[in-house]
Amino acid sequence: MSHDHGNILPSYLKVFFTLMALTLLTVAAAKLVHFPDVAFIPGYVLNITVGLAIAVVKVTAVMYIFMHLKFDNPMLRFFVYIPVFLFLVLGFALNFLEKWTYLH
Amino acid sequence: MSSALNLSHEPVTKIASGKLSMWAFLASELMFFSGFFGTFIVLRNSNYEVFKAGSEQLSWVLALVNTFILIGSSLTMAMAIYHLERHNTKQFRVFMGLSILGGFGFLIVKFFEYSAKWHHHLFPGQEEHTIFFSFYFLMTGFHAMHVIGGMIPMAYMLFRSYGKGGYPYPGKVETLGLYWHFVDLMWIFIFPALYLIFP
Repeated sequence: MSHDHGNILPSYLKVFFTLMALTLLTVAAAKLVHFPDVAFIPGYVLNITVGLAIAVVKVTAVMYIFMHLKFDNPMLRFFVYIPVFLFLVLGFALNFLEKWTYLH
Repeated sequence: MSSALNLSHEPVTKIASGKLSMWAFLASELMFFSGFFGTFIVLRNSNYEVFKAGSEQLSWVLALVNTFILIGSSLTMAMAIYHLERHNTKQFRVFMGLSILGGFGFLIVKFFEYSAKWHHHLFPGQEEHTIFFSFYFLMTGFHAMHVIGGMIPMAYMLFRSYGKGGYPYPGKVETLGLYWHFVDLMWIFIFPALYLIFP
């Protein structure tokens, strides 16, 4: 806002191209890579984990640069971390634990 | 720079109240979508074959196009804010217009997707894949409503910028920008969840 971000336009473009590339990587990882089952974890759960991990990187880039979190008040950053962290925990945990429950 | 950016009236938080409220609203939105994602994951793992068969009916290519459109729209939104803060009204109009156009493009692709599903009798209440398509229409439907909800104030801001002195509240545009990026963020999760994760 009032604080000058210096010249932020190159960062915007960098984030944009990173997001495009990571989107293609998500598609490639889902369509081309088929993980084998590891112990009690089926391969497709690993596939989902990889997709989720790429999504986390994308989301972080959007929040830090597009949503200006990098330049914001640290307290606001802290507020934002909590729900985002819980959301990701939900995604990762359900993904594994749910399968675990059915197998045991 | 301008009055909207003066934070002297926020002595404790040093965050504009509109912006802080938007973040709080987005946190509640995240919880709203968490419900969908949570139930989706649980039901998918117990009905894997049904969900897989449903997902195979979707066109991930159209969804990929939509992903690119939304990311582009996010970029132009960020650029619009950048230019409004520097009082470049002309560039603000161009980038705000492009952002709205991105929203329209997204909805048009979505329309073609939905009508194809309708044409093939792929919607809740049918005999096959009904649980998957309940999720599909709920999640993408709510997301599309968010897109429409964002485009209305964006169109208003663009319209106002043709008045004397351009659009006067960069703070408000930044707050709306947060919302628009959030819509993009949710799509980043919905896209792989519905279209991609079934190998």
